[in-house]
Amino acid sequence: MAKTIRKVLIANRGEIALRVIRGCREMGIGTVAVYSDADRAALHVLHADEAYRLGPAPASESYLRGDLILEVAHRAGADAIHPGYGFLSENAEFADACAAAGVIFIGPPGSAMRVLGSKTKARQAADAAGMPRVPGSVTGLADTAEALRVAGGIGYPVMLKAAAGGGGKGMRAVTRAEDLSAAFTAASSEALRSFGSGEVYLEKLIERPRHIEIQLMADEHGHCLYLGERECSVQRRHQKVIEEAPSAVVSETLRQRMGEAAVRLALSAGYVNAGTVEFLVDAEENFYFLEMNTRLQVEHPVTELVTGLDLVHLQLRVAMGEPLPLKQQDVRLRGHAIECRIYAEDPENNFFPSPGLITMLQQPTGPGIREDCAVYAGWRVPLDYDPMLSKLVAFAETREGAIDRMVRALEEYVIGGIKTNIGLFRRILLDEDFRAARIDTGYLERLLAAPAISTDTPQAEPVSEDVVALAAALFTASTVREAAPKTEAATESRWAVAGRREGLRL
Amino acid sequence: MTIWLSIEGKKRRVDLPSGLVGGTLECSVDGSPFTADVRMLQPGVMSLLIGGRQYRCILDGDAVLIAGQRFGFEVDDPRSLQGRRRAGAGSEGPRAVKAPMPGRVVRVLVAVGDEVAEGQGVVVIEAMKMQNELKSPKAGRVVRVAVAVDDTVGSGDVLAVVE
Repeated sequence: MAKTIRKVLIANRGEIALRVIRGCREMGIGTVAVYSDADRAALHVLHADEAYRLGPAPASESYLRGDLILEVAHRAGADAIHPGYGFLSENAEFADACAAAGVIFIGPPGSAMRVLGSKTKARQAADAAGMPRVPGSVTGLADTAEALRVAGGIGYPVMLKAAAGGGGKGMRAVTRAEDLSAAFTAASSEALRSFGSGEVYLEKLIERPRHIEIQLMADEHGHCLYLGERECSVQRRHQKVIEEAPSAVVSETLRQRMGEAAVRLALSAGYVNAGTVEFLVDAEENFYFLEMNTRLQVEHPVTELVTGLDLVHLQLRVAMGEPLPLKQQDVRLRGHAIECRIYAEDPENNFFPSPGLITMLQQPTGPGIREDCAVYAGWRVPLDYDPMLSKLVAFAETREGAIDRMVRALEEYVIGGIKTNIGLFRRILLDEDFRAARIDTGYLERLLAAPAISTDTPQAEPVSEDVVALAAALFTASTVREAAPKTEAATESRWAVAGRREGLRL
Repeated sequence: MTIWLSIEGKKRRVDLPSGLVGGTLECSVDGSPFTADVRMLQPGVMSLLIGGRQYRCILDGDAVLIAGQRFGFEVDDPRSLQGRRRAGAGSEGPRAVKAPMPGRVVRVLVAVGDEVAEGQGVVVIEAMKMQNELKSPKAGRVVRVAVAVDDTVGSGDVLAVVE
């Protein structure tokens, strides 16, 4: 049944809110932003047609307040809500509340979310759909005794995981039976703290797996497409850092097998709209179902670049009840795309988060570069939310070309005032193993544990120390003159500068 | 004018002609002469041309960025020297536990008068959904707790002092 969407409320912030606003605008659809007190001047607010305040900065008082968001939707006359990722995007109660209030939720129905969103239920659904999964329990573990029995059955090493989990929380790898009891208690209490449910299950630990996921798009008429895979093996603490499409190790046959399995699972649960099925793939090209993410994902741009499709447009069309505008055989992959997640964190200081004022921003441009970004010079990155500042994406004909293009773009990129992980990417992208696609989910932790080697671009001459000294001295001298333009007493101004520098450092 | 710098721990002396920073300048670094064409593009952004090679240089706090690489530097003067001596005081005297980043205090693990070991957690602060436990720099007695739960702290703020 065709429905009309004239105005969309975006129940999110940051780059994804801006991404959705842009998609809506391109389709002539009105946009409503919502914001917390920390985000009044955020870029997503500045790009929207209308904007309404939700509440104080903490997400629990703003972006997680489904009741307030529905109120705003009514007040503004929005006929649909796009949840983005995170916050309320995988909250089945919120999806149901939207439906009950007569507002279109741009995503799957609450019923499909309930089946696929819980990891234990999704594992049962995977079994029913005949999908290979990592051996282990399909229900929550009652106690340590059951954990020991299951682990003994499948053999160590094993992985304990929170049923409601995500983002690496509530996970513990266990190599020996002696350690299982303590790990079970720790994982369960961490899961309870983070997700409000202490349910924990157990599965065999696949050694050195690659993380490869299939993008799906399903309409309300029983059609579901797989839009190729993304490889997200470069992770730190179970958080994705670099994603790419296609994967260097997925053949046409493997892609089809994984894609068809993912489609079977989605259709069995009555899935509609964008979703992603995550797999672990071992060295022998066996793939195992990991979990399903019932939302648009952070890394969707790499799929957009290699398929030529706009996933947000498709989401909106599907939400309006339209059938998918293409068939599986029309989905063709072309070229290679890589995405780097730029975070406000300091790789040289234990990856401490680094919120604060952005004093300067020089963004890369040029051939094959896309940036989904929600910061600007003068914006103060709040400490209340995720540290992601931007997603930088490079597209080229080949994987090698995309890597070289990304290195070039990162050289152009400057974010001043706060610390970022931009420098870390250079190290990864120039690493021999990454360039040869010898990566797995433990790759980045191993690289970070190894001593840093020189990462000068081979073709470029290294910057001489004398030039660095000269540049630093010229900046120092120019600050002195700005500080005291009228006096000739250079010594005094240097003291003033020193005082200010000290003051800043305190 | 002469400027003394420490770059990545190495002492350097740079001599610049007095007058405006800009145009073609005769400079020297540790006594070796350089002719540099200097153009300030905006505060903190500069283009240098030296022997035909172009360097876009960006000032970011206490570092310069050139060709995608970051070089930390310090201007050497009596005050910062003194500051460094203070910072390197080892386990002698009171030592502060400072916030390495802006954040919100979620737990205070010690009280005034507590004995703490070196590396023992003192305060937990949270920013951007990440919690970080800040540890005592030395063994000793807590003489001051400067923050309470839910306080917002800035980078470098003193959280507690251990003597």
